[in-house]
Amino acid sequence: MMFERLIPHCPVLAVMTLFLGAFLTAIFGRSKAARRILLMLASLLSSFFMALLVKPVFFDGQIISYWMGNWAPRAGYAIGIGFEVDGLSLFFALLVSLTVLLSNLYSLRYIERDDCGDYYCTLALMLGGSVLSLVQTGDIFTMFVMIEIMTFACVALTAFRKRSEGALEAAFKYLIVGCIGSSLVLTGVILLYAQCHTLNMAQLSALLAGNLTPATVFAFALLLTGFGVKSYAVPFHFVAADAYMAAPSSVSMLFSGMVNKAGVYGVIRLCYIIMQSMRLPALQTLLVTLGTLSMFVGVTMALRQHDFKRLLAFHSISQIGYVLTALGLCTALGIAGGLYHAMNHTLFKGLLFLCAGAVWYAAGTTDLDRMGGLSKRMPQTCAIFLIAAFSISGLPPFNGFVSKWIIYQATFEKAAEGGGFGYIVVTVVALVTSVMTLASFIKVAQSVFFGQERPELAHVREVPLSMRIPMWILAVLCVVTGVAPGLVLTYVVAPATYAVTNVTGYINTMMGAGYAESVMTVPAQSIPVDASFAGYYSPVSWLILFAVLLLAFALVALLGKGSRGAVCQDDTGCDDKYAVFFGGERVTRSTVAGSDLFWGFRYNFRHYFRWMGNVHSGVVNDYAAWAVGAGAVIILYLYALL
Amino acid sequence: MKHKMKTRSIIVRCGSGQLLPFAIVFGLAVVLFGTISPGGGFQGGVIVASSALLLTLGYGYRTAHDAMHPHFLHSGEAFGAIVYVALALIGLLCGANFCRNIFWDNGAPGELISAGTITFMSWTVGFKVLTGVAFLLLLLLGLMAPDGDGEEDDET
Amino acid sequence: MILTNYISSILLMTLGLYVLCFQRNLVKMVVGLGILDYGVNLLIVSIGYRAGGTAPLFVEGEIQPGMHFVDPVPQALTLTSIVIGACVTAMALAIVVQLHRKYHTLDTGEIRRLRG
Repeated sequence: MMFERLIPHCPVLAVMTLFLGAFLTAIFGRSKAARRILLMLASLLSSFFMALLVKPVFFDGQIISYWMGNWAPRAGYAIGIGFEVDGLSLFFALLVSLTVLLSNLYSLRYIERDDCGDYYCTLALMLGGSVLSLVQTGDIFTMFVMIEIMTFACVALTAFRKRSEGALEAAFKYLIVGCIGSSLVLTGVILLYAQCHTLNMAQLSALLAGNLTPATVFAFALLLTGFGVKSYAVPFHFVAADAYMAAPSSVSMLFSGMVNKAGVYGVIRLCYIIMQSMRLPALQTLLVTLGTLSMFVGVTMALRQHDFKRLLAFHSISQIGYVLTALGLCTALGIAGGLYHAMNHTLFKGLLFLCAGAVWYAAGTTDLDRMGGLSKRMPQTCAIFLIAAFSISGLPPFNGFVSKWIIYQATFEKAAEGGGFGYIVVTVVALVTSVMTLASFIKVAQSVFFGQERPELAHVREVPLSMRIPMWILAVLCVVTGVAPGLVLTYVVAPATYAVTNVTGYINTMMGAGYAESVMTVPAQSIPVDASFAGYYSPVSWLILFAVLLLAFALVALLGKGSRGAVCQDDTGCDDKYAVFFGGERVTRSTVAGSDLFWGFRYNFRHYFRWMGNVHSGVVNDYAAWAVGAGAVIILYLYALL
Repeated sequence: MKHKMKTRSIIVRCGSGQLLPFAIVFGLAVVLFGTISPGGGFQGGVIVASSALLLTLGYGYRTAHDAMHPHFLHSGEAFGAIVYVALALIGLLCGANFCRNIFWDNGAPGELISAGTITFMSWTVGFKVLTGVAFLLLLLLGLMAPDGDGEEDDET
Repeated sequence: MILTNYISSILLMTLGLYVLCFQRNLVKMVVGLGILDYGVNLLIVSIGYRAGGTAPLFVEGEIQPGMHFVDPVPQALTLTSIVIGACVTAMALAIVVQLHRKYHTLDTGEIRRLRG
């Protein structure tokens, strides 16, 4: 096999291909053909190098360690910078490669009308390279540097269409909050260095096992907050909505497909491997609370949006909530569900952003109130959108159903194991969130693709082939991961799940065999993983689930009893266009705009929605204060309970 | 327009003229001996790049802009990065790992070329930082100049 | 003496965060980012300090028994962090200039078209 000798070099080559592509585009990118060729060549080569790693890491269960400049550890101290690719790293790295490849293919035509296309290519490749390096590195300071490069590239890409509404504003907000996050990460890193005199994650992990002194807890809290900022869990999510909305759609796909996954990866690496403290109930509660809040706030904010991409951005936050909740459970099933959902989120949310970009490309707007009836004009985009919408809403047989099902089951089993009443609430919130996700995508489908056609959109044409190819690839992947969950679980998710729990293997591969046993004061507690953990078709669980579902519906019905049948009488807009809902068909032309659907629901919960609207004030100081305040709360919480 | 005809005093102009060669030569020396003395490629590069500021102080933004060719600086920065990666790849081609220091054992310790690839890497970093920081400075000065064309920012 | 460094670095970081949270002027916020960075940098350098240590640089044969030097790793980290800080400031200023061109104000209370 000629690739045998290449395999250890693959991680660094994949990263360097992207960076080299970025630098070459900076020099030769002025001509359109050159930068297109460079963009695709770099992404394809990088994906090829990552694909070579699938067999040794996923199928053979190896962990690949790589020391830059052959600086292997001396006398038990890691003095060099290393790459370490285990199942978890490869899992996220493959997601990154796929996202970069498809997003770049899509952007070939998508950004052709903008000037400064060479800047776009440079920055997109740089973003890809930094995230790819972030998820594969074994050195925590390299992680910080890559986070910073990622933030810069994100800010510059957000401001790419600087003449469009809000791009510069979103970029500035992103920069401020992002820099707070990365400063916290840097402080945490340096505090860990002061304690352990190493920056290597494997060695840190060995030294920190069971070693929760005040200094390390402080560093832990800072790092957790910093990675939380990067994953846009709820108190940090404000800038994400702005940035996803203002950036070009191919960049929004990069954001939701890999940038917030980088934050999730950081949280997993930190909590499960470096600190090894996920066994502590306090930490589980913290992550599950953050996740549940993200789920609920994200989806309810999505219901009140008028803009296609902003709505998708809030759904992104909500889906990351699912991932964090599942990962916070610290059971094999929970980790598997969380990782599976992270993968599915990359697939369907990338697809949805590409659909939004296609609509923008064809119709020139993403405002839900100014569109309608595009299904006749863009049939393929419409079909793709429906696949993605069903996936994210968790309808079988698409992939969202599988991962959400595992997450419901995991939360419910946690409750059954004695996790307490709180986990039942989490299960119910997860179910309700799924229902509201479906509701808001019905709204999008109705106001963009169905409904009556607007005369000003009569000129709309289907988008070019090079934009449809990545969309179809993602759509097919959504279906495949939905109908073959067993294969995906066995060959992709299970190795990653095993890597999350295999702390000893991670340390020993990097530091030499026997290092973990000789240094660690307490043995690593691994979580049992077996291949049959996915009780995907367990009848009893189904039954219990439906009982819970029925209970939730009954509760909602009882709560809404008082206001049943009340006809809207105030100024929420009782004009003729609502008459179609009441049967008065005298209006011949009635386009139900996006914000009109579900107005009753929004009217009933108007106090909540008004409050949430005030919280999302748009003032960057408030966003910074939320981030800092949440960081302070996390620090105090961890001090009190660890 | 208060920017426009603010005549620079002869003292500022002469001062920057005197400092300019010193900044460039001193910076280049720091870059050259970066591997074996305090300082290094990065610091030396920044010192050289400060000549952009001196030029602007003494002779105005337009002169600095025309003298330093921002497009050349931009390409130069990317070129420096490419050379750095290429130097790192030499290690890989020689059968070792990425970034491996090759031919490190020539020259006595303390001599100019005694650290193998590291020396050249340090010079490359110096070049990259020199061009990158000078580009950045010119970009920011251009933003404040009356007729600056707000170019998209780029990170080093 | 090194304790002073720690205290002042924490004070600087707190000041930076305070500025970011409560100052409503964009330029002041950029200055706040800078202060936050300087606080972190001071902390890093202080962590690498060893009482009585020399510069971490020697030619072979020059080193004597009993000599020790300050930890070089945090110095490298500080350098990286300073570079990143400079880039952040440059980028933030570039965005602020363009924001001012577009919105004709530097007040964060008025730059809030994206909300809700």
